[in-house]
Amino acid sequence: MIPGPKSQLTTAALVAVILIIVIQLYLFETVLAAVLDGQRSVLPGALAVSAVLSIVVLLIALKLPSLDRHY
Amino acid sequence: MPHWKKSFPVDLAEEGHFSRREFVRFLAMVSAGFTAGIGYLALRKQPLAGAPDSVAAPVGPLRVCPASELAPGNSRLFTYRDDRDRCILVRTRQGTLKAYRQTCTHLGCSVRWDGQRLECPCHHGYFEVDRGFPVQGPPTRPLSALAAVEQDGFIWVIGDLPKPTLSQEKS
Repeated sequence: MIPGPKSQLTTAALVAVILIIVIQLYLFETVLAAVLDGQRSVLPGALAVSAVLSIVVLLIALKLPSLDRHY
Repeated sequence: MPHWKKSFPVDLAEEGHFSRREFVRFLAMVSAGFTAGIGYLALRKQPLAGAPDSVAAPVGPLRVCPASELAPGNSRLFTYRDDRDRCILVRTRQGTLKAYRQTCTHLGCSVRWDGQRLECPCHHGYFEVDRGFPVQGPPTRPLSALAAVEQDGFIWVIGDLPKPTLSQEKS
């Protein structure tokens, strides 16, 4: 069966969320290492980036209508 | 149909069904957890255990142990600023004294002396003993170093050393 456009969108959303989680993990690890090294200046920027990524994931999880459709 | 299937008429495949939305909501919670963790680090005023404290007052010399108790190739643990500031003193096989904070610069585990290098057992990171630079594994920054000297038959730690950089290493 060839997936339709909405099916592709759903898979794309899922892949995007997983990608964001990987980025969040890497970001947190990097920030923790920087803080352990005494470099706290990275924290505001990292917090802003992480918050934006979390908002994107939340929007996908709560607002995207076609996430559960089966084709 | 076996008796147990009559007693438990739940379709196991259906029972284990986990929708994409449920999965993505779980991932959203994970993502929010990472953000909360970074937020906690940003709001926390005190440095993490083992992290250098740039605003703390300098600590005076600390007598660690008699020099005769630390043979070449051995190490000794001690605390410097306070009980949470765990450090490690090493006498290399050549007899040189080296002192570092035990906190690994990757994720904060305690490094230990394996006879040749300083090893972080959590993720198998290794640091060379001369200047504390990472030589293997995930750490990318050098360990926080302390100045150690031998005087009057004792080993003293006299203060923090500046973090070495690769440019200093080249020069």
